[in-house]
Amino acid sequence: MTPIQEFLENLKQTPQHLRESAMRTGKAPETDRERSQSTFHNLFLHLQSVRTDRRSLRFAYTFGLGLILTASFVVLTITGILLMVYYKPGVELAYHSVKDIHFVVPAGRFIRNIHRWSAHLMVLAVFLHMARVFYTGSYKRPREFNWLIGLVLLVLTLGLSFTGYLLPWDQLAYWAVTIGANIANSPREVTDAIGVTAWFDPGRFQKQLLLGANYVGQESLIRFYVLHVALLPMAITAFMGLHFWRVRKDGGLSRDESLPAPPARIGGRDVEVFAPTKTYGLMAVVRGRTPVVGRAPEGSVPSWPNLLWAEIAAFMFTVAVTLVLSYFFDAPLKEMANPAIPENPAKAPWYFLGLQELVSYSAFMGGVGIPSVVLLGLGLIPYLDRDPSGVGIWFGGPAGRRTFWQSAGYGLVSVLALLAVTVNYGWLRTWFPTIPQIAIIIFNPATVIVALYAAWSLWVLRRTSSIRMSAIALFTCFLAGFIVLTAMGSIFRGPNWHFYWWPSQWPVH
Amino acid sequence: MSGDPSRPFKWITAVCSVVTIGFLAAAAVRENISADWRGYQVGFRGILEAKATGDAARATARNLPIEIRQIVVPALHTVDRCVSCHLGIDDPRMTDQPNPHRTHPRKLLAIHRVEKFGCTVCHQGQGAALNFQEAKAEEYFWDYPLLPAKYTEATCGSCHDPRALPAGSADKLVLGMKLFEQKGCNGCHKLNGKGGPLGPALDNEGFKTKHELVRASLKGSQTNWNWFAEHFRDPSGIVAGSLMPMPALSQPQVEALTVFMLSLRQRDFPAEYLAPDKIDEQYARLHPPAPDGAAIYHRYCAACHDTGLHTRWDKKFARFVPGIRNAAFVRTEDDECLAENIREGRPGTRMPGWGPKAGGLSEAEVAALVAYLRTSAPAIALPAAPPRGDAARGAALFAQECAGCHGMDGKGLIAPALANPVFQQAATDAFLAQTIRAGRENTPMPAFGRAGFSEGQIGDLLAYIRKWQPPVRNAALPGRHATQEGRVTP
Amino acid sequence: MHDSPKRRDFLGLAAIWSAVIAMGTALAGVMRLPKPAVQPGPLRVFKLGDPGQFAVGSATRIEAGNFFLFREEQGFHAISSVCTHLGCIVAHNEGEGFACPCHGSRFSTDGSVVGGPAPAALPWLEIALSPDGQLQVNAESPVPKGTRFRV
Repeated sequence: MTPIQEFLENLKQTPQHLRESAMRTGKAPETDRERSQSTFHNLFLHLQSVRTDRRSLRFAYTFGLGLILTASFVVLTITGILLMVYYKPGVELAYHSVKDIHFVVPAGRFIRNIHRWSAHLMVLAVFLHMARVFYTGSYKRPREFNWLIGLVLLVLTLGLSFTGYLLPWDQLAYWAVTIGANIANSPREVTDAIGVTAWFDPGRFQKQLLLGANYVGQESLIRFYVLHVALLPMAITAFMGLHFWRVRKDGGLSRDESLPAPPARIGGRDVEVFAPTKTYGLMAVVRGRTPVVGRAPEGSVPSWPNLLWAEIAAFMFTVAVTLVLSYFFDAPLKEMANPAIPENPAKAPWYFLGLQELVSYSAFMGGVGIPSVVLLGLGLIPYLDRDPSGVGIWFGGPAGRRTFWQSAGYGLVSVLALLAVTVNYGWLRTWFPTIPQIAIIIFNPATVIVALYAAWSLWVLRRTSSIRMSAIALFTCFLAGFIVLTAMGSIFRGPNWHFYWWPSQWPVH
Repeated sequence: MSGDPSRPFKWITAVCSVVTIGFLAAAAVRENISADWRGYQVGFRGILEAKATGDAARATARNLPIEIRQIVVPALHTVDRCVSCHLGIDDPRMTDQPNPHRTHPRKLLAIHRVEKFGCTVCHQGQGAALNFQEAKAEEYFWDYPLLPAKYTEATCGSCHDPRALPAGSADKLVLGMKLFEQKGCNGCHKLNGKGGPLGPALDNEGFKTKHELVRASLKGSQTNWNWFAEHFRDPSGIVAGSLMPMPALSQPQVEALTVFMLSLRQRDFPAEYLAPDKIDEQYARLHPPAPDGAAIYHRYCAACHDTGLHTRWDKKFARFVPGIRNAAFVRTEDDECLAENIREGRPGTRMPGWGPKAGGLSEAEVAALVAYLRTSAPAIALPAAPPRGDAARGAALFAQECAGCHGMDGKGLIAPALANPVFQQAATDAFLAQTIRAGRENTPMPAFGRAGFSEGQIGDLLAYIRKWQPPVRNAALPGRHATQEGRVTP
Repeated sequence: MHDSPKRRDFLGLAAIWSAVIAMGTALAGVMRLPKPAVQPGPLRVFKLGDPGQFAVGSATRIEAGNFFLFREEQGFHAISSVCTHLGCIVAHNEGEGFACPCHGSRFSTDGSVVGGPAPAALPWLEIALSPDGQLQVNAESPVPKGTRFRV
């Protein structure tokens, strides 16, 4: 064929050839083997293992919370970038740009609502996911470090939500961040009480780092914006990648190994597979403490299609719930931020309201002390409870379930009793007006409740001789306390942080 | 063949996807089809076609684009989208159409072009909104809801001097301004730096949001205009413990005063927006014409002193208010004395100072006020005061004859407080002696001279009364003082 | 090893296609976002007041709208003063036409290009009478060259 003919022939075949060149195997996978290979080789798919344990896909085990979190994050990123096209981070412009997004930008109202409700959903899901991982003992060996990465992700998620909260620059945003910044300043309470503020003032340092000034203003807005759209998303993406990678390296999602595995699915049929004793190559059967790149096929199903279906289902479920909420409920937007008119009551976002309730007793304890202790405690769980048994079993068994319910009851009753005391009778400053502040820092409802919970946990430890039981006791108490304090801060606190049964009873100014 | 483990996930995916598609479609319809403003624009298009005179006009009408319309006025920081529904607002042919197509009433847009002013600068409301509820923004998170039609005149005052406008333009506002002066509101409220301190200053009252007002007892719409109207009807019903007296006002008067309150706004408009009469008004404020004493009296004094001819009992203050135009009083005071009393007031009582640094009256205005008071009676030459006598004897005499009305220690009961520092500094011995001697007609003060007091006794009383003189003479006060020895220094 | 039997998986197909359609619809929806629904600047329709204020034979430069307004015996016409080359504002020379200071484009009195790099003539702008009787020029709406507006 002449060169010209060859040239024209090549040109004619280009569409077909283009398609074939895009896929390195030349065609879409058709057999199970090809699908498995694709899962292994493909850039996007190789995040999954080639085979997934059947038990990991059980809804009643994980509730799909990790997938819901990931899906929420994807939705937030996409809607967030879209909002960035119109949002303007200047104090004169921000509020009006958000109003324009609501009224005028095509699909703006819907996208903004999606962004807001997704964010709340993500924060809720992160707490539920942590609880699930804890109660199923999935922090135990070899997953201890992944638990720590998860805690980092928790803090980053709260940080993203908090930084985003300021951006609309309305009354809600401004005063919530004012409170947040003053919580950052709370070490002042301690340094003042012991008189060292003149030389050592970490509170003021933290507040100025956060706000770029001594007040919430343009500097703060820009800092929060940079954190919210650049730094924190990059950090959370990196840690998410690390988190997923660790899941793979640790052998996939946790499961109860003490029971025999369910049948595997091979060739479209369920097949009982006996665990072999010999190790093979990477894609085949590997057992024991050797590199857990691909586990034994017993109990496993091919990831393509089964895991992919679970992921799509979780993603679509998250999207559907978010869209329904976003259609019916507009994201709140109050009047433009006005430093002269404080919101009364000025409330932090809901996930910080429990903290705000504690802060109302002691700024330092509620803002720094207790949260640090809680984070430290959470981080230590995998290193204190080293008993390798009981992984993959909710509460570790019926004993654990009992401990859970008892602790929930104890946690609820003690926090409610303490709140009843403070609401009806006040606290130290009410009874002894001149008492030094250090006494209140040490002995206040926040420290009392922590002490009560710790005492219960130690008692459970002695009673059951199991660190895991005492961990379940402590975690459950704190969970109950968190829920009650958050409800207290949201519903039952009105102007001047006084107690009211219902918002309809709040006095009009 | 055993079951497909992904079955439940496939169901969830299918259902959730259908729900997703459904809500995406619903949102798209809500935004692109069923939005209010689209319906109004389609309706307007029909009206334009019906009114079109000729094929070309009909074609233009049919091609009217259905899109969001807005007026952007950077000089006023305004973006108003009202015209997305009110397309015919400046089209004179639309006077026969129902709202929102109707032409703006009173041909106002001929002189206030929409492209130059927007809408919210006069009407308030949330101009950025695209539906009426959010534009009206009444029970909403918006500081300045749409002004009711009856109060819209309030904003005329931002660019105009309402009194210079033709009759029928801003009558309520003009009436409100008149009532404010006539009822003597400045007696307790400062405006433009002039007025009494008892009530809050009113300079930016029109821009007060509902968060800055005490609304615990406010029924009805939670807006600042409703607050003003209710407050004018019954001040202490709205503000617990308020001392504000309120004569019975008719409904038009309440509305007029409300409009006036709403018009009190401090906002910088670019110069091209101010009408010449407004600039004249501002100039006149800086270079006031010759003050009218009678008008000043009505504006600043009458609220407490009424006609001033008699002492009156004030229910709210629970005090007697002296009759400062009482001829018997004015006769015995010289102009300087009157001026000092006006300038300094009576610290410790409800009478505030009215001088330039206090109530804000200029020296010329104080002088005009004094001249007005002087019309009651010319000053007489006072006979000389007797020398000061024995304070102890004076004390006994005081306790017997004077303390019943003037209070022990001269603190004042139903009669003025003689121990008041401004009184002590403004009053001369001659004045005190003459008052004791001749009494004060039209008041309960008897003429002790006629009742038998000797000059010596008067002297004793003088000595006692002067014990309350403040030890350090206030150098800033231009008044005259008796020296320790009782001699008058002119 | 046996492969999975090839069966028509209606549920699976329905699920995957509905998910694809859902995501496609969402994508289509969000793709609309970047195009503004309304121009953010001031209106480009200029009301110039009573037509009688413009004398016959006058040439008025309307800076705010970047156009010139001419009135002749035959009526009004408005020519844009934005150079069609790269957008600089042209100057008007009485009787000669327009000249652009940036790259030397020259236009005749009716806007046609007579020199320089400009690729097209200066557009004539639509003139109308607004409902309240003012002369109204729409700087966004070009009309054919030679269109005059008679009052």
